[in-house]
Amino acid sequence: MNAYIDLDALWKVLVASLLAGAGLAAVFSLSLVGLSSGHTAGRAGAALCLLIVAAGIVLGLYVMLAK
Amino acid sequence: MDANLVLLAIVIVTALSFDFTNGFHDTANAMATSIATGALRPKVAVALSAVLNFVGAFLSLKVAATIATGIVETGAVTLTVVFAGLVGGLAWNLVTWYFGIPSSSSHALIGGVVGATLISAGASAVKGAEIVSHVLVPAVLAPLAAILVATVGTYLVYVLTRRISGKVRDRGFKYGQIGSASLVSLAHGTNDAQKTMGIITLALIASGTITESAGTPLWVIVTSATAIALGTYLGGWRVIRTLGKGLTEIDTPQGFAAESSSAAVIFASSHFGFPLSTTHVCTGSVIGSGLGKRLAHVRWNVAGRMAAAWLITLPAAAAVGALAWAGANLIGGALGVAVVFITALLLSGGLYLAARRQPVNANNVNDEWTGRVAPVPTVREPVA
Repeated sequence: MNAYIDLDALWKVLVASLLAGAGLAAVFSLSLVGLSSGHTAGRAGAALCLLIVAAGIVLGLYVMLAK
Repeated sequence: MDANLVLLAIVIVTALSFDFTNGFHDTANAMATSIATGALRPKVAVALSAVLNFVGAFLSLKVAATIATGIVETGAVTLTVVFAGLVGGLAWNLVTWYFGIPSSSSHALIGGVVGATLISAGASAVKGAEIVSHVLVPAVLAPLAAILVATVGTYLVYVLTRRISGKVRDRGFKYGQIGSASLVSLAHGTNDAQKTMGIITLALIASGTITESAGTPLWVIVTSATAIALGTYLGGWRVIRTLGKGLTEIDTPQGFAAESSSAAVIFASSHFGFPLSTTHVCTGSVIGSGLGKRLAHVRWNVAGRMAAAWLITLPAAAAVGALAWAGANLIGGALGVAVVFITALLLSGGLYLAARRQPVNANNVNDEWTGRVAPVPTVREPVA
């Protein structure tokens, strides 16, 4: 089967897209939780979360364009 | 005028037309969910996507050799084969658009080129194993991978935000959705406009207009980017409607999770060199966003129709590609290509007129799903 499926690339795609797709979406959700809490700590946490999301997007654009 | 110049001009115009259909067929991939949830007004969504496709086309100028390399023997690719392949891809794009089915433009193009090659150079010029590993297997894996990622993403999004207030949540996910959909548009421009640039460059090299080492001329980049952006702006409303309303009812958090999943899978597959089709990924993501929200309803009959369409993409486009090559070859030379070109133009016009009879546009794209692509027109009761 390996002749027809590049398993090595496939699992990398799966892990990377789970981390970036589902993981960053979850981090973004956490930032909304922080924002709606009203506490200063919540806002700070939200800012950190959004920073992580932004970093993920920049990294994604970078690796895609640096081919 | 020189016959070869006529031939080259027709191939370039056909390639740009294909690029244009590629744009309007795939607007749905990035924007269907944002339009369905009301995060963006329909016209604004297609305008944003068009601009990002245009920008995306300029971002990565390392042109993929061509779509055909690796699938068929390079020696078998003549200008007429490229032309016939494009006609096959164009035909499939237009027919699936008419029926409102999202379908991969890359697969349609590959099918067209394979069909034209089969009839012009024989089966030995087509690399069967390459087609299985680069086209058929990814076509099955792409939606499955996207379903997995979007299901997990949607589940997490709903679980994490279940306690927070409506306003922050709605606005937050609205912006998140616009952002992630924009990334999908950008990636689409980067990946798909390259196909056309590659084909036009190949045609220019084959006709001796530029040398192999010359690289892609600027006007090719600009015209390809413009064609895909114009197509995107026109909006394939029929496909947008199926993807946004037909598969499942989408709420903003689901739309956000679906687009994040699509963007991630597309970026990852393009980075790790696993050739996944944008359309297959985005469709899988929408299904996953339906599955991840507990009790959300996925219309499996609609999904089944899409899967069936994906299975016959390759043979159907190949049949048209073969027919186009045979027609052009029968008449011969630039005249043959011109006759096939005009025939294709007339048939496309006919399909456009047929679609006008039951139109889907920015005004009715979000109407209640009634099992058909075109919404049932509202009949106004005569005032007594």
